[in-house]
Amino acid sequence: MVEIHQLAAAIYLAAGIGALVGVVLPAPRMSRGAAWGLGFGAIVQALAFATLHGGDGPPINSLPVVLAWCAWLGVLFAMLLALRVRLPGLTAVVGPLAFLSVFVASVGWDRSGAAEEGVTGAWPHIHVLLSSGGVSLLGIAGLAGLVFLYEHRRLKAKPPTPARIPLPSLEALDRVNVVSTSVGFSLLSLGIATGMVWLYDAEGRIWTGTSHATWMVISWVIYAGLVIARTAGRQGARQAAASALAGFAFLVFGVMGVGVMS
Amino acid sequence: MKILLIGMNHRTAPVEVRERYAAQDPGPALRKLVASDEIGEAVLVSTCNRVDLVVATTRVEDAVLRVHRFFRQDLADADAVADSPSIDEVSYEHRDREAVCHVFRVASSLDSMVVGEPQILGQMKDAYRLAVENRCCGPVLARLFQRAFATAKRVKNETRIAQRPVSVARVGVELAGQIFEDLADKRALLLGAGEMIELALFALQREGLRDVHVVNRTFANAEELAERFAATPHPLDELETLLPESDVVLACVGGERPPLHYALVKRALDERRSRPAFFIDLGVPRNVDARVEGLDNAYVYDMDDLQSVADANAGERRRESDRGEHIVVEEQVAFDAWLTGLRAVPTIRHVRARAEQIRDGEVARLAGRLDLAPSQLEGVHQLTRAIVNKILHAPVAHLRNETEENGDAPVLEVVRAIFALDDEGAPGAEADAALRAEMERNRLRHARIPEDGFDPTEPDDEADE
Repeated sequence: MVEIHQLAAAIYLAAGIGALVGVVLPAPRMSRGAAWGLGFGAIVQALAFATLHGGDGPPINSLPVVLAWCAWLGVLFAMLLALRVRLPGLTAVVGPLAFLSVFVASVGWDRSGAAEEGVTGAWPHIHVLLSSGGVSLLGIAGLAGLVFLYEHRRLKAKPPTPARIPLPSLEALDRVNVVSTSVGFSLLSLGIATGMVWLYDAEGRIWTGTSHATWMVISWVIYAGLVIARTAGRQGARQAAASALAGFAFLVFGVMGVGVMS
Repeated sequence: MKILLIGMNHRTAPVEVRERYAAQDPGPALRKLVASDEIGEAVLVSTCNRVDLVVATTRVEDAVLRVHRFFRQDLADADAVADSPSIDEVSYEHRDREAVCHVFRVASSLDSMVVGEPQILGQMKDAYRLAVENRCCGPVLARLFQRAFATAKRVKNETRIAQRPVSVARVGVELAGQIFEDLADKRALLLGAGEMIELALFALQREGLRDVHVVNRTFANAEELAERFAATPHPLDELETLLPESDVVLACVGGERPPLHYALVKRALDERRSRPAFFIDLGVPRNVDARVEGLDNAYVYDMDDLQSVADANAGERRRESDRGEHIVVEEQVAFDAWLTGLRAVPTIRHVRARAEQIRDGEVARLAGRLDLAPSQLEGVHQLTRAIVNKILHAPVAHLRNETEENGDAPVLEVVRAIFALDDEGAPGAEADAALRAEMERNRLRHARIPEDGFDPTEPDDEADE
């Protein structure tokens, strides 16, 4: 299974490099081919997930598996967004990030050990899938925020700096931010809720008090504040972009950083 | 066959001279030119910035004189050019490689007044089409123009020469595209009037902007402008209500106090919540309060800003044109090899004709002696043809390659001597007369449709240069 993930990672990398070359040259055909390559990588990775329970793989809630899920779902969400919003250069960013995530996941794959006790049944799977979907969407929002801030700064400069490579418009980036944050927050909320249900089902309680759980709840509260502020019109596009970026940095620390440190 | 180009452009001749050589319908003059002994093929590229005549000829010096006469007598009205400078003073002349490079550079817009502008390619296609329709274009110029179009495509695709706008109006459109995803659902507000602002609005409308509102101190002027741009006129006092719904604001009015003052714009942006607003301020003094630039969702550009981007883009195009020049040289070398390889064609055809004549004669002699049935005779023909083709394949390929690589290779003379091609008494020499007649017909044959899919008989929608 890990080999199929590595193959998918290689395809993501090739697609990312192809897209980058396509943007820089520029070569539209290469960019289109790279987008198809990204989709092909996602199909290959889906095959890898299909064999998840076939051998002595790591438990579904282990960090490598979660990272692989996040990368796969991130690629799928990015491609879905690209169907509705004009996002030039998307593959050039998503491809390498997906490669990095899947590659890091595959490196830690063997060290993860056999399935833990209690990580069986539907709830762990639902929890991991929903949470991974939420994290990947909030990651896309953070990425859109980063590009927005760069573009905003460039367009506000006096005299304005000409664009070196075609990037999505500010309006498109803001749309991606709004959609990704809203849907990502919803998935994250459901992920946390199903995590509690899983815990109650396995241990008869809903709160473990671990640092991971604490950081996740703090992240949820922060994102809830961001969503409310945006919905109420208290945040402009630039502040929302900065918030999405900061929020995702906090979330990554909560999901990955704390997990690694503990 | 040699290629000769004589012409004038915006650098060598002022417009009042160029316009005198800009014929409305040069077809008859071209036909007359190609009918002369000195000229084999001819294509005339005539735009408002250039008049270039490209000819294929075997007698270059005579062709130069004939082309000069063509410019003086056939292309321009004799009265109109009487007080003009002579063609020698305002024209340039390129031969062979330089001529090929020039044609490729012109098609790729590397020689244009605005480097990278796309219209010249369409105009060259028109010129080629005209030459084909008038039967003035043969295999050499057909190939030259095919490669010119392919070169232009390569330069466009492999460099950024045509990517960045160099006019202020187009820069405005480009910036709008970096702020908004789609202009079709955006509203523009035109405050005041002026040539630049109208050009910018025109360019934005070409990109899909539909909903345009015009505000002016004098309502009659607003109505007049609105009519021209299919817009809705408004009196000035409606500015405050229109501003929050306007995504693109183009301002160019006089007055000491900016009409788009800070408080007004701030209120409008607050109402717009997170939606950005794009201001093009072409007024002097400025129409948009300088403090507006500090507001998050306001992207304000004045004339100097737009001009600085246009200048930076022009510099980028010049840098990219160096890459384009490399592509032109690559394509010129390839074309030169093809043209040189053509020198082997008469000898190759001669060799094949000789061999075919001998083969055919021998088979006929054999058929007479053996009394072969038709099917048997056909079998013998097939067999002998296959033998001849296989024997000739390697020497012909070598001859072609050697000529392409080394130009006038001694191998051509060797082959002519080995096969006794210049000996009228040699076996098969009776085919020579028929071959010469066929080659003469081919010299003026109609140009074929290029391989890249461009059909010279199809209309082209690109505008004039």
